[in-house]
Amino acid sequence: MSIQWSLVLFTALTGLAGWMYACIATDEFLCKTKQTAFKAALVALVVAIVGGVASVTHLAHPENMLNVLGHPTAGIFVEALLTGLMCLCGIVYLVLVKREAGAGARKAFAVLAAAIGIILSFAAGYSYMMASIPAWNTILLPFAYMGSAIPAGVAAYLMVAALQKEEADALKPYGMFLLVGGLIAALTILVYMCLAGLGQIGLGIVAVILGGLAPAACGLMITRKPEKASTYAVVALICAFAGVLCVRCAMWLVFDKAINLFGLTI
Amino acid sequence: MSHYALVIDLDRCIGCHSCEIACKNENGVALGSYWNKVLQVGPVGTYPDLHEYFLPSQCMQCENAPCVHVCPTGASYRDAETNIVLIEKAKCIGCQYCMMACPYGVRSWNTEEKVVEKCTLCRQLTSVGEVPACVGACCGNARYYGDLDDPTSDASKALAAADSASIHSMPDVGGNAPATKCILSSKIATWKVSDLA
Repeated sequence: MSIQWSLVLFTALTGLAGWMYACIATDEFLCKTKQTAFKAALVALVVAIVGGVASVTHLAHPENMLNVLGHPTAGIFVEALLTGLMCLCGIVYLVLVKREAGAGARKAFAVLAAAIGIILSFAAGYSYMMASIPAWNTILLPFAYMGSAIPAGVAAYLMVAALQKEEADALKPYGMFLLVGGLIAALTILVYMCLAGLGQIGLGIVAVILGGLAPAACGLMITRKPEKASTYAVVALICAFAGVLCVRCAMWLVFDKAINLFGLTI
Repeated sequence: MSHYALVIDLDRCIGCHSCEIACKNENGVALGSYWNKVLQVGPVGTYPDLHEYFLPSQCMQCENAPCVHVCPTGASYRDAETNIVLIEKAKCIGCQYCMMACPYGVRSWNTEEKVVEKCTLCRQLTSVGEVPACVGACCGNARYYGDLDDPTSDASKALAAADSASIHSMPDVGGNAPATKCILSSKIATWKVSDLA
């Protein structure tokens, strides 16, 4: 089966946006990078919308999409709903920040957007769990989807924060977030690729390095040399996003049905 | 509820592909696509103990159909009257998730209409009391269509006449429970579908 780029981009971009909201929500409590909130939320919203549009390009007949209301339990509907809700919460959060609303309301919508975004990054992988495709039918897949999205989202947030010229020391906690996120990404990708994707082990190793270890190293450097955070954030974002793409491409390349009587490929 | 499905007597199937051609003619299935395809299983064994059989394959009418569960719009659905899994093309968004979820890879992508298709057990014929085209065209009288809950149907009679050890179905893949049955007695060949993966 060929790589479905529309779906690769959808899951990569919405996952990145979801974990950016996680950083925004974190900062609502840490209050370290307050100047970043609006622009980071704006970037996350745009990225999520672009991801949503990418998913629609996969459909041959998007005009029939309203029929999803008749079958609201399917994975695609859940993903569409979560994407919509995340964007809605993100828009409300932007309005609240712009109007300098109370901290409670800001916290509430930032946490909501983050929670939905994190769930979405998991659900995007969970939808592919099908008994007909053994390499996909493992809970390790959604964990790899979610894990690989963490450093991408955190690196994107760090990049926006660095561009906003936040104080160097204020970025240290997010450097640590990137370090931990990168290690989680490396672990989840490695475990999935080892147990389910041996057919694409080369791409899996690249995904582990780019998607996990490289961003983790950048995170470590940010905690030690926060004055160079912008450089490390850019490197981490490029590596993490490449890793996100690699793990999703590998998933499509290990596609193999348990039984394929017609021998047709999609 | 009725449970309409096919019963295929592989002891009688000669692998002539008539069912495949009749299906294509009746349903206008494009070149390179299938709603029904005859597979050759084997030969297996060691000379002189060799055996093979022909396996006509199509939608297995799963009782717990994964294609229906994953379809976001309800385009893949189960007909309330006959229990047959069908596709309402007007609702299909072309996401192809049903093709991924089908345990047997027996759905096809219509490149012209950009929708998913599959065997409908010739609803256009069976809804007016006729048999599916593949059943009508089978020169070996190997295919039977009918309500598996009705003991007087052709399909039920064929099953009742067969030795229970000779009745097979495709492997269950995660609880989908395929309803289509095959009859293959050990004197003809050993049921062996693991090679089809």
